[in-house]
This record gives sequence, C-alpha cells and structure tokens, in this order.
Amino acid sequence: MSKYPEVLVAAALGLLAATSSAGAQDAAAGEKVFARCKACHAVGEGAANRVGPHLNGVVGRAAGAIEGYKYSPAMTEKAGEGLVWDEPSLTRYLENPRGFLKGTKMAFAGLKKPQEIADIIAYLATFAEDGSQKAAQADPAGDDGGRDAAGAAETDTAEAAGEAEEEPSQAGADAAPRADEPTASSVASGSDGLKFGLGREATDDEVAAWDIDIRPDGKGLPEGRGTVGEGMIVYDQQCASCHGDFGEAIGRWPVLAGGQGTLRDERPEKTIGSYWPYLSTVYDYVRRAMPFGDARSLSDDEVYALTAYLLYLNDIVGDEEFELSRENFTSIDLPNEQNFIDDDRASEAHYADRSEPCMSDCKEGAPEITMHAAVLDVTPEDSDEKESRGGGID
Amino acid sequence: MTKVPMARPSSRRAFLKGGLAGAAAVAASAGAARAGGETVITEVQDWARYPGDGVDARPYGRPSPFEAHVVRKNVPWLTSDTISSVNFTPLHELDGIITPNGLCFERHHAGIAELDPAAYRLMVHGLVEKPLVFTLADLKRFPRENRIYFLECAANSGMEWRGAQLNGCQFTHGMVHCVMYTGVRLRHILEEAGVRPDGKWLLAEGADASAMTRSIPMEKALDDCMVAFAMNGEALRPEQGYPARLVVPGWEGNMWVKWLRRLEVGDQPWHHREETSKYTDLLASGKARRFTWVMDVKSVITSPSPQAPIRHGKGRMVLTGLAWSGNGRIERVDVSLDGGRNWKTARIDGPSLPMALHRFYYEFDWDGSDLYLQSRAIDEKGLVQPTKDQLRAARGPNSIYHNNGIQTWHVDKEGVVENVEIS
Ligand code: HEC
Ligand code: HEC
Repeated sequence: MSKYPEVLVAAALGLLAATSSAGAQDAAAGEKVFARCKACHAVGEGAANRVGPHLNGVVGRAAGAIEGYKYSPAMTEKAGEGLVWDEPSLTRYLENPRGFLKGTKMAFAGLKKPQEIADIIAYLATFAEDGSQKAAQADPAGDDGGRDAAGAAETDTAEAAGEAEEEPSQAGADAAPRADEPTASSVASGSDGLKFGLGREATDDEVAAWDIDIRPDGKGLPEGRGTVGEGMIVYDQQCASCHGDFGEAIGRWPVLAGGQGTLRDERPEKTIGSYWPYLSTVYDYVRRAMPFGDARSLSDDEVYALTAYLLYLNDIVGDEEFELSRENFTSIDLPNEQNFIDDDRASEAHYADRSEPCMSDCKEGAPEITMHAAVLDVTPEDSDEKESRGGGID
Repeated sequence: MTKVPMARPSSRRAFLKGGLAGAAAVAASAGAARAGGETVITEVQDWARYPGDGVDARPYGRPSPFEAHVVRKNVPWLTSDTISSVNFTPLHELDGIITPNGLCFERHHAGIAELDPAAYRLMVHGLVEKPLVFTLADLKRFPRENRIYFLECAANSGMEWRGAQLNGCQFTHGMVHCVMYTGVRLRHILEEAGVRPDGKWLLAEGADASAMTRSIPMEKALDDCMVAFAMNGEALRPEQGYPARLVVPGWEGNMWVKWLRRLEVGDQPWHHREETSKYTDLLASGKARRFTWVMDVKSVITSPSPQAPIRHGKGRMVLTGLAWSGNGRIERVDVSLDGGRNWKTARIDGPSLPMALHRFYYEFDWDGSDLYLQSRAIDEKGLVQPTKDQLRAARGPNSIYHNNGIQTWHVDKEGVVENVEIS
C-alpha cells in the first residue's frame, strides 16, 4: 500500500526503539484517544480512507503516501520534501496540525496533553501496514495485550456493522426474491391493477433497515433513552473536534449552540436553539449523517443522549440528569417553532405589481458605483482563509 | 514551429497584466497583415502537414487542450471541507442552453457516492398499497421521457445579498446547469405501489453518507417529477447521482435528490434538516419562510463578465447571457448598457422550453466608454426579475437563498469587467 516500504521498515524500527526506551506510552489508553480521530480516520483490518486517509502503518509511513487519497497541496508538498511520520513529527503534527503544516486540510484542533499524544502514537504503532495488529512487540506496557486485542476486535465489529449497513440492498437481495427477474407473485400483482407489473414487494426487514426518518409528531422514533451526562461523553469524543466543546464550532464547521435572540441582528446565528423549529430534526439528522465521516455508527441510545446534550448546550434543559427518551421526546418544544411562515414571495411589492417594466429614462442621473466586488480574485490559488462578508452557500 | 501572434491570456490576472500589450498586438498584427501576412496563413502549420491521433486514441473524447481552463471551480474559504461543499459551472465560457456533463456544478454533503448499479435499489413505501423495491433495470422498463430542465441551487448568488462579493459570473451565478434528462415519470413509479388517499407528501432520500432527505408535496410528485438515469444522452455522472436521481422541474436543486434510494409516502411533511436549518429564508422581521420551492425568474449576462472581459477593443460586439424561471418559459429578456436607465429587448435564440435555460444575445457597437451592463428577464407568468435593492427591501440581507436580483457588471474603457453595485 505504501509507496515507500523500505522507509517504513527502517522508521518503524526506529520508533520501536524509541518506545521501549521511553516506556511510558500506553497503547490501550491511546485507543481511547483514537475516538477523537475516528470521525475522520479508520485503522485496523480493512480500514478505508474516510475524511482523512486510513492510518494503518502510519508510524514510519511517508507522509501523504496513501494512493487514491486526495491530500491537501500542503501535505503533498511536505511529502515531496521527504517527511516521514515518526514520533517527533507526529507529535508536532498532532499537537497543532495547522501550526506544523500550514494549509493541511485536517480540521482538527490538536491534542493538548503530551501524554495523549504519546499514547495515540503507541496505539497507532500497533497496526501494521495491512491493518493487522503487532500488539506483542509494540505494547510497551506489556500487560495490556489482552485489552488491546479486545479493543481491536471491537473496532473490527463496528467496522463490519458499518459496512453491512451501507449495503443493505445487497444483503436484502440474498434473502429476498431477486428483483431483476420478476417473480410469479409480482407478475400476479400486475394483474391486481398495477399498471406495469414492475418491481417486487419490499420485505418488512428491508423497509425497517432503510426507514430511519423521524417526524415532529414523533413518528419514527425508536425505543431508547439517554441523559445529558451520557451525551456529553459521546459528544466530547465524537463531535467536539469539529463542532467545538460547547457547540461553538471549530473553524468553519457548523455551529450547534447559542445565538438565541440574534435572528433580527446584522449577523444572525442560526443554531438548534436559536433557529431550528423541531427537536425531531436533531435526532433524525444526527442519526442519519453524523459524525461526519462515519454516518450511521451511533446507537439509538447514543443519539438520544446526544440530542439531550445538544438541548443542554442550548440552555433548553438545565439539568445534567435530564433523560430524553421516546416517551418524553414530543413534550419538548424548541423556542423558534412559531417563527416559520409559508412561502409568500408572491405578495412582495415587486412581484405583486404586474405593470409593464420601464424601458426608457427609468432612473435619474448617471450610474455611480456604490460597491465593488469584495473579493477580486476568487481563483483557488490565492484565496486562503479570506473572510466572506456576504452570506454562506447554505 | 510558428507562433500564433496573439496568444489568449488564460486567466483574468494574466489579461490584466497583458491587457495593453495585447491591444498593441492587435494593432500591430493588423498592420503586419497588409505587408506580409500572418504566419498562421503564410506558413504551413504542423497540423496541416502531419497527421494527428488516429481513431481510438481518445475512446472517450475530451475537449481540446486549449480549453483546459474551462472547468468547475470552488471557492475554498466558503466551506471547511470539499466533502461537503460546492463548485461552480463556468457559465462565462459556455454557449447555447445545454451544459456539458462534466461542467455541471457539484454540491455534495458527504462527497460523491460511488454506487454499483447492480446494487442499486429504489424502495417505495409508507402510505401505499404495497411497498415495492425496484432495480435499475426495472426503472428502465417504465415508459421513458426526455426533458430539458435547468437545475439551480437555491443558494445560487447567495453570497451577493450584502453587496457585490465574488468577481465572476461562474461564482455569482454558477450554481445552475441545464441538461436533457432521460428517465421515467415519478407518477408511474408511485402508482405502481398505489398511493393511498391520505398520502399527501413524499419523502425522497439519497443513498450517500449524508442520506439527504426532502419532503415534496404529492401534487408536484404526481405532476412533472421524474426519476432520471441519463443526462445529455449518457448515464448520469457520479457527481450528479449515478445511477438515478430525482428531477423536480423548476424547484430548488437541493430537492433533486441524487443517488435516490427511497421514496416514502406520508400524510405530513417531515421538516428535516434541509428544510428547516437550511433552505428556509430568514427575513428582517426574524420570521423565516419555509418550503420556498420555486426558483424565481432570473437572468445574467455571461459575456462580457469579469472572467470574460472585452479583448477586442471597440466596435462590433456580442453580449450574451442566460435566463430562466421555475414558473415556465422566459417571455422576454431586456438588456441595459447604462445601469438600468434605458433598456433594449435582447434576442432569444435556440429552444424556448419551460423551466429550461434560455440563451439571449444583444449585438451592438461599443464606443469604448464605460458600460454598466444589466439584464432583466420576464417569464410567461408575467413576473419580472427584481433588482437586488427591491429584494433587500422586502427581505433584509440574511435570506441567503433565492437571490434572483438583477446583476450589474461594470466594463471600463480597457474592457475589464467588474462585479459592482450602482446607484
Ligand atoms: C476532522 C477530521 C479529522 C480528524 C478529527 C483527525 N484527522 Fe487526521 N487527517 C485528516 C485529514 C483530512 C488528513 C489529510 C491531511 C492533508 O492532506 O493535509 C489527515 C491526515 C492525518 C495524518 C497524516 C496521514 C498521512 O498519510 O500523511 C495523520 C498521521 C493523522 N491525520 C492523524 C490523526 C490523528 C491521530 C487524529 C486524532 C487524534 C486525527 N488525525 C484526527 C482529518 C482528520
Ligand atoms: C469531521 C467533522 C464533524 C464531526 C466529527 C461531526 N460533525 Fe456534525 N457536521 C459536520 C459537517 C461538515 C456538517 C454539515 C454537513 C452538510 O453540509 O451537510 C455537520 C452538521 C451537523 C449538524 C447540523 C448543523 C446545522 O446547522 O444544520 C448537527 C446537528 C451535527 N452536525 C451534529 C453532530 C454530532 C452530534 C456529532 C457527533 C456525533 C457530529 N456532528 C460530529 C462535521 C462534523
């Protein structure tokens, strides 16, 4: 997989020497830290690229070396200069990604605790290039082999489950009648008044696998529950790296909390608490699409807990013990629900007035420029981190 | 090797630097022509002497290398990651009404899903007589239709609400494209499952990692929506939802769910993220409009425009642009050279189809003075494209979506064009 196998072997040896001499890195603890990378990176058997490249064998790997992954120009440039991921370079990158590598597209604020960095590197060093674990040698603590293996197994099953979920149609096709050859029953149903006799009946399991939507009246909510406190733990591990510890957002990732009372301001801040009309949308969206890069990986209880925590971050519930469940879900209203109105564009003066538009001498005086384009050159190469003063794309 | 006397500057910056020199070159070559003649004519060119590539050298043909600058582009600082981002159609380089497949703007929420057509399934369920699953092959056995429609993102021109922002119609107006779709009526698919009388809404969902969903009123679903599997005669591009997407003519692009996998019939709308947090239009009053589906009457001059300055000096010139409306056909397009003081009706050329792009031209002699170019479209319902000031007066500056205001391009005496707002 790596384009530079020899670099890899040499550097890996270097690292092993380093770890055994330091002796304080804990791969098992590093596995917990990895929860903060998981939204974007996979590691282990069958790990694929996500938002970021897979990290199998990354310790000792040349930077920017995963074929088929599209690195930032900054990373590609560094790779060209021969950067290899060893303990010192990883430490500096993980401490402050953008400080170490200006222009990297890893949107991660960095790990602040040196111990966490040492641990995550020890953990990543346990994975060979093919994703298999070389736990025995690489675990300096020595007595954690068992825990490590268990951890790896867990990662694998999660991965497998994720994959199964992504392709329910194939799984369904095995169990259910083949859709591309109309069966006797679908032909028969054609004569039941269906016009073309195409398709086959969906099984209950198939509908259940795909039907994940939730409505404001609670239709679609699964069985389950979760508290604010439980939500905070999941949030800190899986959401805070993009959305910020308090939902305030890192960089340009979406803001999730705050902004109450700003909708009439010059710069309104639209969040769950200040703008969204229905709580059901939070549950529905987090379950279907988050964490970004690892959709559909959360359990129903985790989504209840996260939804409860997002209510807490938005000051809609104040109690850390608060538990959200299917039973009490629809009793919670979001503050801005009443402020949505139907489309009334047709009543605006310029549309309501159907007179013929003016063709000559429509305005007094010569035109004067009141504003120039704010961004003179929008070509990709010179627009790093410019502030937009207009609206966003959505 | 011979040299083409006036190489075409490849970027606006190059043009700005080389502008005057370029004008001088025009004069010089005109003079030279009387004396000896242009070498491109007087000398035998390589392409006229040596044969080129044979057939099969380019099994899937590509544009000339001289057109390599005609590509989609994004504005990186708009979004945090290209996986959930947008790039823009290079409108300033295109003509006619059909957008080439590889140039149709992209908007993804979780990147481009790469679907194996053999693993493609479309499920219809909810308030239906019988929930059904279709393969792609099944879909292609319904009666097929070919329709040309524009698709515009509701956020097109969204960056321009507070005033002139991005310098190029690719960026101000490039979240629109227009292709011919081949597909089947959504109505046929729904009727195959049998919509129950209380089925008033439809939820469409995509198969990508954002599992995009939108609620669509049943009336529209049964009227003119399609499930399309081809664009401009070939299979959909992965960026456009291969192997099948929803077509919702005249309505905002976000509803045209790509990689369409599921249609659920219900009795109420779902109020999902893309119709609450996003795609709702905040007004100055603090109220927000929702379900603003129709794309309003709109037009833009694509050339001249900031990325397509006037390079030929004064004299005869062709102004061209695009107009469209979610309400139907475009009835008329007017053009102003003096910032809206006086208007002339432009010439629409090519097919005039409902909810499709229309191409207009206005030919005139440029005297080399400053121009304040504007275009104003009027659709078959009689709706007139408003000014940006009218829109801001009605809605305030924070609506983001549905900015169909009249665009002004300022052309200076050198032919350089800039996005401006004027009095
Ligand atoms: C928000 C998404 C995100 C998070 C969270 C994240 N990364 Fe990354 N990571 C990326 C992206 C994107 C790249 C590619 C960077 C580039 O091309 O500039 C990357 C690159 C890397 C690389 C370089 C890989 C190579 O082959 O060159 C390493 C090592 C890495 N990340 C480690 C980590 C670790 C360890 C964590 C957790 C502590 C983490 N990342 C968290 C997105 C993320
Ligand atoms: C790798 C970065 C990343 C991580 C980690 C992440 N998100 Fe997101 N989140 C995003 C992006 C990007 C979007 C917008 C996606 C789009 O454009 O469709 C988003 C959108 C959202 C929204 C909707 C915001 C709005 O205003 O419409 C919510 C709610 C949300 N995320 C919750 C979560 C939760 C809960 C988690 C943890 C389980 C999480 N996210 C983890 C990047 C991330």
